[in-house]
Amino acid sequence: MRDTLWLIRKTLISTFKTYKNWLFYLGLPLLAILLAIMTRGHSEDVRVNIGIVNEDGKQAITLDTIAFIGGMHSTNLVELPKEEADEQIIAGDLDAALIFPAGFSQTVKSGNPESVRIVSVKGTEASDYVKANLNRYIDNMTLISKAAGGSESKFDRLYAEYKASDFPLSAETLQDRSAGHAQAYQSIGYLAVLMLFAAGNLSGILLKERENRTYRRIMASPVSARSYVSSNIIVNLAVIVAQVALTLGVMTQIFGVKPGLPLGVAFFLLCLYALVAVSLSLAVAAFAKSSMEAGALQQMLFFPTSLLAGCMFPIAAMPQAMQSIAYFLPQYWLLEAFGKLQLGVALAEVIPSVLILVSFAIFFSLTAVYKFGRNQDARSFI
Amino acid sequence: MNILEIDRLSKTFGDFVAVDQVSLSIGEGEIFGFLGANGAGKSTTIHMIASLLRISKGEIRLLGKDITKHANFAKKNIGIVPQEIAIYEDMTAYENVRFFAGLYGIRGSELKERTLEALEFVGLGDKHAVYPKHFSGGMKRRLNIACAIAHRPKLLIMDEPTVGIDPQSRNHILNSVKKLNEMGCTILYTSHYMEEVEEICTRIAIIDHGKIIAQGTKKELKAIVTDQKNIWIEVRSTENADPGKLREIAGVKQVEIEDRVIKFTSDAGVNNLNKMIQQLMADEIEIRSVEEQEPNLESVFLTLTGRSLRD
Ligand SMILES: Nc1ncnc2c1ncn2[C@@H]1O[C@H](COP(=O)(O)OP(=O)(O)OP(=O)(O)O)[C@@H](O)[C@H]1O
Ligand SMILES: [Mg+2]
Repeated sequence: MRDTLWLIRKTLISTFKTYKNWLFYLGLPLLAILLAIMTRGHSEDVRVNIGIVNEDGKQAITLDTIAFIGGMHSTNLVELPKEEADEQIIAGDLDAALIFPAGFSQTVKSGNPESVRIVSVKGTEASDYVKANLNRYIDNMTLISKAAGGSESKFDRLYAEYKASDFPLSAETLQDRSAGHAQAYQSIGYLAVLMLFAAGNLSGILLKERENRTYRRIMASPVSARSYVSSNIIVNLAVIVAQVALTLGVMTQIFGVKPGLPLGVAFFLLCLYALVAVSLSLAVAAFAKSSMEAGALQQMLFFPTSLLAGCMFPIAAMPQAMQSIAYFLPQYWLLEAFGKLQLGVALAEVIPSVLILVSFAIFFSLTAVYKFGRNQDARSFI
Repeated sequence: MNILEIDRLSKTFGDFVAVDQVSLSIGEGEIFGFLGANGAGKSTTIHMIASLLRISKGEIRLLGKDITKHANFAKKNIGIVPQEIAIYEDMTAYENVRFFAGLYGIRGSELKERTLEALEFVGLGDKHAVYPKHFSGGMKRRLNIACAIAHRPKLLIMDEPTVGIDPQSRNHILNSVKKLNEMGCTILYTSHYMEEVEEICTRIAIIDHGKIIAQGTKKELKAIVTDQKNIWIEVRSTENADPGKLREIAGVKQVEIEDRVIKFTSDAGVNNLNKMIQQLMADEIEIRSVEEQEPNLESVFLTLTGRSLRD
């Protein structure tokens, strides 16, 4: 541990001795926020056209729910039969249709609500927005019915009280949020790219020390190879987590951008992504024969993948065929989770993205460990 | 007591045998010379002693302890001056030495003291705050040494520490080696400069193609060649010289032509100087001087390997 600290100290001091590195590691993320705020500064007037297919008839709860959706900002409602809804969605006249099944209100009262189906072609932001709010509304009613414990009169009373109080969600609108959210989303997109390059640079120190042979000196001392590599990883993680903290802090506290999800959650997601970035950069270092080659590999890998994953501009702008490549890129899953949470979905819904990020980190780490191990056999470090 | 014992040490890279059954022992307080041509296996041997390369076969003991089993003990007591300079260009001379000494667990005021001492020792006492990129080749070499001695190793391994530097820096380095040795440090000194090794080493081993071909004191090594004499004839021009004919002279074992000197290695018992001169005169070569050379390590190496160490 003492050895590791000694090595960490050296790497930190010699890294932050030059002002260029301050700019690279901490200045660029700040620049990225500015850029994001400038380019995404104007809220677009989003209107969401929603078709309502009511198969439940004139039940109070169903009608209230429909009214709630209608009351959300930026939504236009049209009631229509199922077949027509399908047609209009395909034609692009509707963004989404909500289908309330027969007996919906009854199932809500009994505390076990049947789900409202959402039909949309694109799985658009708009439909996610509606879905997220709708789910929360229904969840609240389910809670009421649980509290009523099966008694209908009690339910009616609690429900009436609930309606009388202001529903907190209705204050938030898609329109209000879109500017701030888009800025935050774009900042995170840029940050994701910068984190990769920062991690790559820091792992590159391992290669540089091999090239200037100081690595041999370290290996001839009682310091173990494990302490040596872990010191590099620790510095790497520390620096890019600092990037994350700085970016989130400056974005929300100084520029007042509302990220649309709890800061702690954003921080957690980005730290997870930091693990991916560091393990990927180690894998690149393990495969590269020189720091020059590692630099070239990083350029080749980090930039195009970030473009394809939607870090710089929305992937919708890319040809369909290329859009699906995004599923194989960790940056995409970070942004996907981030974007979903901005729409107010429950944390549980981003668990798949989180797991995918974890898998990426594990995969890259194992690749790096395997490759470094093989290098060791060939003694190419001498 | 022997500080270092190497027992039938081998290293193979794939099929290639770089070090072949090397056995040596070095006593405490010696300056042991390790001589060999390029690619002979010197660095490979040294890297195994310094735990930088895995041993293929054989054993190395430092102060009686197997270095593979007691790696930390061995590493603590060894300092290595690598053949190629290994320092941080973006750290000052002081920071370099301090960092490497710190790897041995030294901290605080002791670390500071030893760092200053090591820099002073190699004559960089007034260059603490200078970055190595502003150093001459010789100064970098000296910093390279300082980084290896600040933790006060019992055995200092120097892998060609004087390659490609000016005479002044070289003298400085040779003097510091002697001084270090007087202070109680045992030194394993690798070189392919004969004169250096002759000047400072107590005992010498000659390695060729991975094998030790001779080992002993300077006297013992030179005794190998007492049945030989070396006659150097300086001439005006070697244009007409015919090594084939010269080699046919009775007793002559070897003829080498270097610049304007014809170097004969010959059986000491045969009187053939006249014949040599006659042959040169017959070829119309103008003789400037004739000298009989004392046997030196160069001639020992030449005798043993049939090659000169320099090529
Ligand atoms: N990692 C390696 N893989 C394969 N062959 C190697 C490796 N390291 C050294 N060799 C070979 O082993 C032989 C001995 O090399 P070594 O570096 O020990 O020579 P040396 O005596 O130090 O020579 P020099 O005076 O040039 O430094 C050389 O032929 C070299 O090519
Ligand atoms: Mg060598």
